[in-house]
Amino acid sequence: MSMAQRLLVLACSRSAGEALAALEATGQTLPPDVTWVNLPCGGSVDVLHILRALEAGAEKVWVLACYEGACESLEGNRWAEKRVQWVQALLQEIGLGPERVVFRAISPTMAADLKAWLEEE
Amino acid sequence: MIVAERKPMVEILASIQGVSRLLVVGCETCVAVCLAGGAKEVAVLSAALRLALRERTSAVEILERSVERQCEEEFNAPLAEDIAKVEAVLSMACGVGVQTLAEQFPDAIIYPALNTQFMGRPEAPGIWAERCLGCGDCVLGRFGGICPITRCSKSLLNGPCGGSSNGRCEVDPEHLECAWQLIYDRLARLGQLERLYAIEPPKDWRSAHDGGPRRTTREDLRL
Repeated sequence: MSMAQRLLVLACSRSAGEALAALEATGQTLPPDVTWVNLPCGGSVDVLHILRALEAGAEKVWVLACYEGACESLEGNRWAEKRVQWVQALLQEIGLGPERVVFRAISPTMAADLKAWLEEE
Repeated sequence: MIVAERKPMVEILASIQGVSRLLVVGCETCVAVCLAGGAKEVAVLSAALRLALRERTSAVEILERSVERQCEEEFNAPLAEDIAKVEAVLSMACGVGVQTLAEQFPDAIIYPALNTQFMGRPEAPGIWAERCLGCGDCVLGRFGGICPITRCSKSLLNGPCGGSSNGRCEVDPEHLECAWQLIYDRLARLGQLERLYAIEPPKDWRSAHDGGPRRTTREDLRL
């Protein structure tokens, strides 16, 4: 797999995916060096997805999932955050910056926040 | 099952320093069940090693394999071709699996990627706890199915000691129940409290590792 991309976003389709759809409805598009992958739930993010993306050349990986209490699968968002923390600890162990993997909570109404995050990145 | 955990990455990286072709081998039995050394963990460790070693000037090739039971030579035999191609093998099996590879492939350099911890069981998701020391002379039948040798921090056969408080062990009250409280409660439930009147004699540890490395022979299985 080749990924000469600056940023990979692993996104819960029920929150982040909706926020992106709202952003795109206003005519905004993702920067070309951002790859966005909608997942059925934040809980389907696996540590191997993140590591493989970094291995393939992604500079950063974001995991976007619902706020606590808002996950339709009950705890998928908490598992997503746990897995991000696990990878961050592993990156620290091998001398790479843990900040290369980021977890953010998001809701479907946060299109403006999503736009701001992408601009800051 | 045999429970293990991955060694610190700094130790693993130090062991494979200078290696340019590496084979990472998992085991799909105990260490896969305790999520330490199965195919998934082989993939994760290999990805982490590739990321860590990317900064090196020379490229490192990492092969990933996993076998059903690394402690049995039959399952390892298909690894021969891959082992011949690499400079070192990183085994994600327990210490038994690592030694089996070392015995079976005497010319190969084998490094352990796990620290083998104990024989135990999962108490809850993400928590494994020790249940058997393998003493070679099981006493569970006399203690309501709770092992005083393994679960009592002092391995007392005539307990409890004075460090039992509110059912917890003084060694680690937060995580350890007092084995003797558990034994008392269980025997009471079974109506066998009279067992506790018996004084247990000193244990003969020759059946344990104290008598040297052990082996078992079944003549009915040998020709």
